[in-house]
Amino acid sequence: MIQFQFITAFLLIVLGIYAFLAKRNLIKLILALDIIDSGIHLLLISLGYRIELNEVPTAPIYTGYETLKSPMVGPLPQALVLTSIVIGVCVLSLAMALTINAYRHYGTLDVRALRRLRG
Amino acid sequence: MNGEAILPYLIIIPLFGAFSMPIVSLIGRKAREAWAVIISGATLAVASALFYSVWEDRGIIVYTLGAKSPLGQGVSFPIRIVWEVDLFGAIMVLMVALVSFLAVVYSLGYMKHDTGLDKYYTLIIVLELGMLGIAITGDLFNFYVFLEIMSIASYALVAFRNDTWEGIEAGIKYMFVGSIASSFILLGIALLYGQYGTLTMSYLAVKLAQNPTVTAKVALALFIAGLLFKSGASPVHMWLADAHPAAPSSISAMLSGLVIKVGGVYALARLLFSIYSPLAYKALRAYGYPYINMNTVGWAIIIFACLTLIIGNAMAVIQTDMKRLLAYSSVGQIGYILLGLGIGLAAYGSHTGEVALAGAIYHTFNHALMKALLFLIAGVVIHELGTRDLNELSGLAKTMPKTTFAFLIGAAAIIGMPPLNGFASKWLIYESSAIFNPILGAIAIIGTAFCTAAYVRVLYTFFGRPSERVMKAKDPEASMLWPIIILAVAIVIMGLFPWQISEKVMLPAAKALEDQLAYISAVLGGA
Amino acid sequence: MRPRCGTDMGLIVKTSARAIIPLIGIFGAYIVAHGHLTPGGGFQGGATIAGAGILFLVAFGLNEMRKHYNKHLYSALEGLGGLVFLGAAMLGIGTAFFYNTLWHNGPIFNGKPGTLLSAGFLPIMNLAVGLKVFTGLVSALVAIAMYRRWKS
Repeated sequence: MIQFQFITAFLLIVLGIYAFLAKRNLIKLILALDIIDSGIHLLLISLGYRIELNEVPTAPIYTGYETLKSPMVGPLPQALVLTSIVIGVCVLSLAMALTINAYRHYGTLDVRALRRLRG
Repeated sequence: MNGEAILPYLIIIPLFGAFSMPIVSLIGRKAREAWAVIISGATLAVASALFYSVWEDRGIIVYTLGAKSPLGQGVSFPIRIVWEVDLFGAIMVLMVALVSFLAVVYSLGYMKHDTGLDKYYTLIIVLELGMLGIAITGDLFNFYVFLEIMSIASYALVAFRNDTWEGIEAGIKYMFVGSIASSFILLGIALLYGQYGTLTMSYLAVKLAQNPTVTAKVALALFIAGLLFKSGASPVHMWLADAHPAAPSSISAMLSGLVIKVGGVYALARLLFSIYSPLAYKALRAYGYPYINMNTVGWAIIIFACLTLIIGNAMAVIQTDMKRLLAYSSVGQIGYILLGLGIGLAAYGSHTGEVALAGAIYHTFNHALMKALLFLIAGVVIHELGTRDLNELSGLAKTMPKTTFAFLIGAAAIIGMPPLNGFASKWLIYESSAIFNPILGAIAIIGTAFCTAAYVRVLYTFFGRPSERVMKAKDPEASMLWPIIILAVAIVIMGLFPWQISEKVMLPAAKALEDQLAYISAVLGGA
Repeated sequence: MRPRCGTDMGLIVKTSARAIIPLIGIFGAYIVAHGHLTPGGGFQGGATIAGAGILFLVAFGLNEMRKHYNKHLYSALEGLGGLVFLGAAMLGIGTAFFYNTLWHNGPIFNGKPGTLLSAGFLPIMNLAVGLKVFTGLVSALVAIAMYRRWKS
């Protein structure tokens, strides 16, 4: 069976890197960073979801696990992704704050304008 | 002393300090400053005790979060987060705590006229916390979390003076480069987790030796790319030369002295020696099993190191901005450390490799002291004169004698003059690189020639004819002067016993880093 | 016409927001409180409650928000959330950092799995993280909104 989630994750990462290299607007660059992060999160979370022996895994809820017939999704990747999302929120808000500051100093969001530091 | 009992306090104390800072700063300015000094001082005390304990026992401290043993119930592999400190990690912990403490003390005087200082002190303690965490962790995702704590704190601190365009521009550049690098590292961790199903470094090392796959190689490439970004190695060093000068000087001292080393070189060494090991490579190759060629990796790092060494030092010569010169010099010195690391990897198992690794560790510690000293002095100059243009600083020696003398010590140490600490570490790197490959030795010497030229130029300016602007300057107040004096004295004292330190501390640290089996069995307990 | 910052968004939005904000807050509180039983937890619940705060900011405008927002109080509360989290993690420091001693030894939060008073320090940590995330996100958003105001 084709693992579509891995392909999507890979596509998202490539798309993000393309956008990061090709775009010139600061907000778009921040979005590109977020797209790369989303791709990695998708990859990471789909690592926990493995269909083995045609048994579709269920959500990892602890109560009532004795009566469960099918396997559970690995809970560790979900914890990792949650942590990573929190970190992503931090970076995002910091990036937005810096972007507002940059707009104040430079009057534009074009990264090509941010070239005063040289030498 | 029991190192295992005090290890968690290395994280608890800065965390407590950072969380309680907003509440403490409601009391007032003095309370906030005293609190920052107390917290970083207590961290330094814990770090010293930890270093002494590890150094005395020559062992590895393993600490498990949440239970007594890292192994799961009824299974023989670790399922919990472990912290693992060997001598190399302990040296890093001591270095981080020492320089951070001095930077906090220095900030009392240096940041007096800035606003938003409750955030400043919170961030500086969080930055210290992130670096301490990287140095002690034994779990890959835990490493990523600490790396991001460190990185986010340093992005914010670089852009702390948000009323100047310089800080904002440097902060944005630093943030984008750093976030991309972090994404690479996270992707590498995700690939390794998907392949081997574990995040504990020591157990991952076992799994990797059993079955080295293509995925592991891709992950290794991502790790190296990300961490070379973070350490400011040459093709991607541009952010460093922007970010380090733009930050407030106490932060520049921490960024140049600590962040690029702990978050870059230390993490790289940990990954290359403790997870992907040259030991496993040698053994697997001898018995004809599939392997990951660590020799090639070592050579790749050597090539990057040579580039970094030449470009960084050469660019330092032509700078007119004092802090920018120091930042480029940091790039050059990272080149030396990476060179030692690469030779240690490529010549693994021989005495040369061990000496090179010891030299790299020694130089990491020395350079943290020297570069912190030089950046703090640059901060004093900015504080007194309001400029860091070398053309306007002529004749500083007349009016700021103590500062200039300290700068002389720092510059001589970074060049590698014999009675100071930089000599011994650089000598170990020259010696091993010349034995390993004479061309590398020659390149290292050329780098030092550039470095000498850069610093002689600064000293020439300082001792030149006094300009009018300089006449008003004077030596700084006590809270800014004492950290400088302490660092200068530490450099001189370490310079008096170079071979004893290298014999007693640095070579055992290199051995501890090379000894992957001890690192693994400390967690798995021989299982 | 471009809406100027600092002003509200009109009667319809304000009335709906007044009705919705308590519901969002209650839902967020539910997510935080049941963090150890159902999907969700401190961060998700805290972010949901912060959503209510942000809706208030958007609907009623910055001037109205300023009256209800105290910078020192929010950053102190944020620090308090962190401290409670750290304290909960340190309860079992005799065994190990983050050792769940409440769950193993009691006296509270050691009920049967699936009940509200179970899972040791996890509910405490969820509450602490929820408080921290709520105050942190609201502070960040208000700071950004004020920034824009300050510029013009």
